[in-house]
Amino acid sequence: MIQMFHVTKAYPGDPPVLVDINLDIDKGEFVFLTGPSGAGKSTLLKLMFLAERATRGQILLAGRNVARLRESGIPYLRRNIGVVFQDFKLLPTRTVAENVGFTLDVLGTPRDEVRERSVKMLRRVGLEHKADVSPLKLSGGEQQRVSLCRALVNDPALLLADEPTGNLDPALTVEMMDLLTDVNARGTTIVVATHDATLIERYQRRTLRLEKGTLVADERGAKAARLMSQSA
Amino acid sequence: MSAPAKLGYFVRTAVGSIVRSPFVHVIAVASLTLALLGFGVARLARAQLDALTDALGGEVELTVYLAADADAAQVDSLSAALAQRTGGAVTRVSPAEALGRLVTQLGDDGRGLSALPDNPLPWSLELTLPRGAREPSLLAALAEKTRALPFVTGVDYGEEALERLTLISRALEVASLVVFSLVFLTAVIVVSATLQLAIFSRREEIEIQKLVGATDRFVRVPFMLEGALQGVVAAGLALASVGALVRWLEGAGSEVLAFARLGSGLAVDWPRLAGELLGAGVGLGLLGSFIAVRRFLRV
Repeated sequence: MIQMFHVTKAYPGDPPVLVDINLDIDKGEFVFLTGPSGAGKSTLLKLMFLAERATRGQILLAGRNVARLRESGIPYLRRNIGVVFQDFKLLPTRTVAENVGFTLDVLGTPRDEVRERSVKMLRRVGLEHKADVSPLKLSGGEQQRVSLCRALVNDPALLLADEPTGNLDPALTVEMMDLLTDVNARGTTIVVATHDATLIERYQRRTLRLEKGTLVADERGAKAARLMSQSA
Repeated sequence: MSAPAKLGYFVRTAVGSIVRSPFVHVIAVASLTLALLGFGVARLARAQLDALTDALGGEVELTVYLAADADAAQVDSLSAALAQRTGGAVTRVSPAEALGRLVTQLGDDGRGLSALPDNPLPWSLELTLPRGAREPSLLAALAEKTRALPFVTGVDYGEEALERLTLISRALEVASLVVFSLVFLTAVIVVSATLQLAIFSRREEIEIQKLVGATDRFVRVPFMLEGALQGVVAAGLALASVGALVRWLEGAGSEVLAFARLGSGLAVDWPRLAGELLGAGVGLGLLGSFIAVRRFLRV
């Protein structure tokens, strides 16, 4: 699903944010991306949904070479990628249901269907009763879940989540992770950037660890959990 | 998505945006209205100047004096030849008519002329020229050619007055061109800056649309619809303001018109002005939105 070959990302005048990254994430995988703050996790995610372009190296998304993709082709690729942003990026001028349906609006889904699917998605995260209120009236955790609903409502092939449990209490974290596991079980490839060592230990999925822009570890299962406990 | 469904979405988005943040739209409409008002007033002024030039130009004519021995048939043939050659209107002035006019013009001093045994004045032709032929150089050439015709003894066409009128007309043309350019440039700058301000408050919405896979066109269309709608409203307001100005000039401000030799009424082609304001408003709204939204599309 995602392949990176010697990918480097640098901004003019600054040291590189990512250095010589090589990775291969298969279709249907569930991958944690971890590392300390400033390690380059968010930048790596941005490269995956084309909010940034690599300075050097090649990126293949679903077999397509991103470097050869024209600007006009980017929207069509993004329609297969759901993104949960660290700062949620919810529109305060729209209702919760309208925020969720935003992705479907862009795809040209009929109005009634947008509403129906948005409410159905909100029901899965227990927020159906908040469909018609402003996101400003929701708690941080609720906003996080609305953001996840917006990313998932379109059944994307790839879901990228930047600290999706960062604002949730332990019970909601489990709920959120169960939801992501369920989505993954239906075939969606998931990449979750997180600091949360307990999350990695508990779910024992493939874990990529970044430090100072370099990929320093790529472990699976129990080894991944050990990796986290060592670095913690 | 079917075309009507897509149009429905665009219209809903545009109207929703106006309802959600009316203030920024009021500012955009106000700036568009001012720009269009400038355009409308400049257009109105230009129409009055054209009418004034036409009125003054109507007095320009060529007087052709004929030899004393020219008879009525020769006068007729010369008259027809001049009308055909210039496309103008020819009035034949008989010696008796010319003497009558002279006596009237001189008043008491001319009383003695009526006592003359023979009328010394010849036949003459007064040629009123069409607008395009009023150029001093063209008139000079025409006068030269006319002088060479048989039985023509002299040609008079008020050379100095005509040159002055042409100079004024050209100056007015240049001035109106400068005014138009300034109004247009100001309008584009003000309108796109205002719309950019309005769109700036919605940059996050654009960013999210782009991140969830919207094409540039999909993002742009509702903004352009808003711009067009603002243009329509602004055109209506500008037209109403120009109407109010015209009513004032024709009523309370009639001394101004009298001073400008425009009589009691103004020359206004309302359907044309309405069409131009509507076209300019919609055009400015569309162009301004297109330019303003462009810088926010790079996500």
